[in-house]
Amino acid sequence: MTADADGGFDPITLEILWSRLISIADEAAAALLRTAFSTIVRESNDFATVLMDAHGDSISENTGGIASFSCILPRTTKHFLQKFPAETWRPGDCVITNDPWLATGHLPDITAVTPIFHKGKLVGFAGSIAHSPDVGGALWSADCREMFEEGIRIPPVRLLREGVRSEPVMEMFLANVRLPKQVTGDLEAQITANEVCAARVAEFLEDAGLADLSGLGRALHGRADRAMRQAIAAVPDGVYRAAIEADGFDEAVTRIACAVSVRGDEMLIDFDGTSRQIDRGINCVWNYTHAYSVYPVKCALDPFTPRNEGSYRAIQVVAPEGSILNPCFPAPVSARQLTGHLLAGAIYKALEGVLPEQVIAECGGAPTMRALFSGVDRNGDRFSQILFASGGMGAAPHRDGLPTTAFPTNAGAGSIEAFESVAPLIVWKKQLRPDSGGAGRFRGGLGQEAEIEVRSPAPLRLSLLSDRRDHPAQGICGGASGAPAEIVMSDGTRPHPKSRTMINPGTRLVMRYAGGGGYGPPTERDAAALAADLRDGYVTKAG
Amino acid sequence: MATARIGVDVGGTFTDFVLHDPSRDLVHTGKLLTTPADPSEAIIEGTQRVLREAGLTPAELHSMVHGTTLVTNTVIERTGAKVGLLTTAGFRDSLEIGREIRYDLYDLFLEAPPSLVPRYLRREIPGRLDAEGNELLALDEAAVAREAKALVEGEGVEALAIGFLHSYRDKRHEARAGEIIRSLYPDLPLTLSAEVAPEIREFERTSTACANAYVQPRMQRYLDKLERDLARIGFEGRLYVMLSGGGICAVREAKAFPIRLIESGPAAGAMAAAFLSKLAGLDRVVSYDMGGTTAKMCLVEDGAPDHKFDFEAGRVRRFVKGSGLPLKVSVVDMIEIGAGGGSIARVEPGSGLMKVGPRSAGAVPGPVCYGRGGTEPCVTDADLMLGRLDPAYFLGGEMALDPDRVRRAFAEGVAAKLNVSADTAALGVQRIVDETMAAATRMHLAEKGRDPRDYALIAFGGAGPVHAWNLARLLKINRVVVPLGAGVASALGFLVAPPATDMVRSLVGRLERLDWARVNALFAEMAEEGRTLLEESGADPATIVLTPTADMRHVGQGFEIPVPLPGLALGEADVPAIREAFFAAYRLRFGRVVEDQPIEALSWRLACAAPGQDIRIGRGRAEAGGAPTPRATRPVVFEGHGPLPAPVYDRYALRPGMEFIGPALVEERESTCVIGPATRVAVDKHLNLVLELA
Repeated sequence: MTADADGGFDPITLEILWSRLISIADEAAAALLRTAFSTIVRESNDFATVLMDAHGDSISENTGGIASFSCILPRTTKHFLQKFPAETWRPGDCVITNDPWLATGHLPDITAVTPIFHKGKLVGFAGSIAHSPDVGGALWSADCREMFEEGIRIPPVRLLREGVRSEPVMEMFLANVRLPKQVTGDLEAQITANEVCAARVAEFLEDAGLADLSGLGRALHGRADRAMRQAIAAVPDGVYRAAIEADGFDEAVTRIACAVSVRGDEMLIDFDGTSRQIDRGINCVWNYTHAYSVYPVKCALDPFTPRNEGSYRAIQVVAPEGSILNPCFPAPVSARQLTGHLLAGAIYKALEGVLPEQVIAECGGAPTMRALFSGVDRNGDRFSQILFASGGMGAAPHRDGLPTTAFPTNAGAGSIEAFESVAPLIVWKKQLRPDSGGAGRFRGGLGQEAEIEVRSPAPLRLSLLSDRRDHPAQGICGGASGAPAEIVMSDGTRPHPKSRTMINPGTRLVMRYAGGGGYGPPTERDAAALAADLRDGYVTKAG
Repeated sequence: MATARIGVDVGGTFTDFVLHDPSRDLVHTGKLLTTPADPSEAIIEGTQRVLREAGLTPAELHSMVHGTTLVTNTVIERTGAKVGLLTTAGFRDSLEIGREIRYDLYDLFLEAPPSLVPRYLRREIPGRLDAEGNELLALDEAAVAREAKALVEGEGVEALAIGFLHSYRDKRHEARAGEIIRSLYPDLPLTLSAEVAPEIREFERTSTACANAYVQPRMQRYLDKLERDLARIGFEGRLYVMLSGGGICAVREAKAFPIRLIESGPAAGAMAAAFLSKLAGLDRVVSYDMGGTTAKMCLVEDGAPDHKFDFEAGRVRRFVKGSGLPLKVSVVDMIEIGAGGGSIARVEPGSGLMKVGPRSAGAVPGPVCYGRGGTEPCVTDADLMLGRLDPAYFLGGEMALDPDRVRRAFAEGVAAKLNVSADTAALGVQRIVDETMAAATRMHLAEKGRDPRDYALIAFGGAGPVHAWNLARLLKINRVVVPLGAGVASALGFLVAPPATDMVRSLVGRLERLDWARVNALFAEMAEEGRTLLEESGADPATIVLTPTADMRHVGQGFEIPVPLPGLALGEADVPAIREAFFAAYRLRFGRVVEDQPIEALSWRLACAAPGQDIRIGRGRAEAGGAPTPRATRPVVFEGHGPLPAPVYDRYALRPGMEFIGPALVEERESTCVIGPATRVAVDKHLNLVLELA
């Protein structure tokens, strides 16, 4: 690599400076994660911190968190720059939005961006995204008809101007949410995270003797871009196609058609032929579509190079306007993950023939299945608890799928003891689901089964966000599909999988999380592996 | 009267000994190859040798403090017992389901840490308590007997663990199941989750119980044998074992809860640093211990290392958080970084940039310069190329290093791939490894709301003093203390560690609604238990200090912070003070408070400790002013300076009161202290080198 391509930075200095910028983003993330109230931020890692240059191009991103967000934040920042040109920013400013089309595809995520000044000059931006504890509207539902029902929409506004908070903006926002204190607390956590990032960058520039981030940014973008191009160039040229289906909403099955074209060191992912947008909240805004398309490609082709704006320059993503992957305003989008999480499976399915060693089968946990219980407990306190649990991961070329692990998202799960200590619910079972992993040379990861009894003094509300009832995770390269998801009440009824239902005290709800798809023909399953599966009951003779 | 004490640290390669005889202010050290098949062989032989060299007999030993990697190695190597687990019906898979998180976002093929108890050995028992401890379903006692029999007689398990839901709140079901099992199999090692880790969160508690059961049979056999062997050679003193939290305990506790020894060795290093910080009069210190494979950093404030109450063992990827088995044990809170003398430099295929570590050449083949077959350049090789190490004086001259081989390895390997000179590549290795350590340290301190600039660095371990100056520079730390005997300094920790134990109980509640009578009852219970354990360890009851804290958070948050409490008998009247203490701790860590959000407590802790021993080092060396005389001068490369002529001093010739300025090198047997330009160095009365960076 010539020093020229690296903008005069030698490779050792570049490595050092890059690592340091990543650790700055990580430090900001640590500040955010530890002070946030949102359980979704914590349990679901639904947040990101990104350091950007003065154009809003990402230079480094936090290591954990949700991969898709870091891809979106720079786009949002560029929208901010259109509304507030670079010369209008002042130290101590902070601009926020939750507009689904400008930011992460649904209202609950707040994006906050703070300018970074060094020696009086705007040198970059510190940004963070976090899932807010509340944004008003129809909390946690996929059944709205328009985005306006889903909560309050905040256009890009200056929440802080030179360190002074805009009280009218705050007042307007807080008047529209159920948990104003927690919402405020989390906004403050985001501002703190951005300030940590901004302070560290200024310190960094001082230490490194740099006037700004522009030259360094270009060098780092170049490195990341070349790494991805090198990986794409190794894929034989061609057009690789696949189509997958998911439950969608009621009769409207979601169909994702995907053509991955590889030419030289560039890739085009085209979703032409995908379902049209619908009047239910599972539309996936283009920003989110893009992010959940490039992330699985990075995992498969170039997993270990650190990410920045350069990582995805070689990949173009196209989805027809008005499709479920590029819906028009004001389509409802609250549960856009129910569609966005499907894209990895479609892309891997398309690539199974050409990259069989680099992809995995569809995942039972894509999309995630979520149950939110809300009501009033014996003390008269309002409670609202989400049961975090995942289906099984798809099998890999040389390994069984992980049980109860989400991909492409990375939601964790909390403790049942902690869950029961804050909500009038008893979990009688949370256990692996035998025979739920798709058969194959390598077996799909097992899903799980949870049984929950309602013990509140009055009926409570159950909100469900789920899919894979009629469309289980498909196997790959000849593997079989995993078990589908099931949700059943103790009276035998099945609540709507994407809607809100009242349930009575004493009712038990059984949730069965889908298993992952298998990899390779089941006839090639190793006999010892099958015997071990039988011994441990992952697979039963009946199954 | 027997007053001498000996510390014995059984490591993977070496067993280290450190003897202290207070009647003569004598500190004497020794080293022997570890005997893995039966570690007590090396312990006995080495103890006898060190005693002989010091002119003592085993009967003159007051005590032995023992640290061992046996527990951690058993978990890492998966060589523990066949364990059976009884769980609440519906929850036998909690152990395997875990936290459902991918520890690497981009690796599609990542491996989960395998459960210590496979599914077919996990059995379910009907019986259920709720979060308040109310019984929803009676314990099925017949099922307990039946499943225990099936596991012990049918499957041949060597140990059992029990992990029932909400046993942290009320252990009656676990205790009753335990009684039934003990009546059937009185000699079978049995671990109750509510005894080993009475804390809320079933996965972590059960994981701890299983790990304890997993290592228990082996540790019991080992400690039994060690006691017999020591008795055979005439040792009549007390045998203590080093706990992960930096305290020492009697053998009985070690046999009951061997999992508490998981970080036994590293804890000693932190205790040594804590002791040295007190000697040097420093109240805010970062302890920095760098060896062949790792660097370990620990915050030491007011003479005590930081603690935490969870740990991850047996990681699939050693330096990746989340890839191991969670344990609820009290440990010294340190970070371990894959940066040591043996860390290997390589060029990443994707980015084309150089990385150093975490892969290590270890002792075999070791760095290229050892000439034992290593071909990939390591940190030690870079140190040699840059003039930091003397090829003729490594390990006091015992091992000759080969600089030409190193130069070739750099030139043909990483330097060629990066298109830079061998010298640039070598300096690059040093810059990258130091930056890696600095970044990890900054992060660790930032998570605690600390700024490295407010701290001093205490550096030890073979590679610590070599990198300390540059690390301090990167962290903007302006004082570095390097004790004498950097290679064995951590063993001092065994001699200064106090008898100590950390107790915990969980009781969840909002601050304004807590049942204080219950909290006080928990503290009373913990205090009694703690005192009994310490008195068994020979502590004077009058000197035992009890420190209560609570793990608290705002309702709705997921992370608790430790909050100091005003006493052991609390009530409504203490609520404002506790709230203020919470805010103070919160503000320190996060820089702000959220006033109106309610506060809750999850767990209650009681740290019980008796004072540790004091030892004196370096007394009797005459003060001497002025500058020492260098024994040589050689060029050393410093970033931004190129090669600078650096005088080389013999560490053993330095006297308290001497002063000199950098650049300089101070060589001792196990290490070399590298001092860059614009740095004043003084030798203090304990023979520490004290570096003041400009």
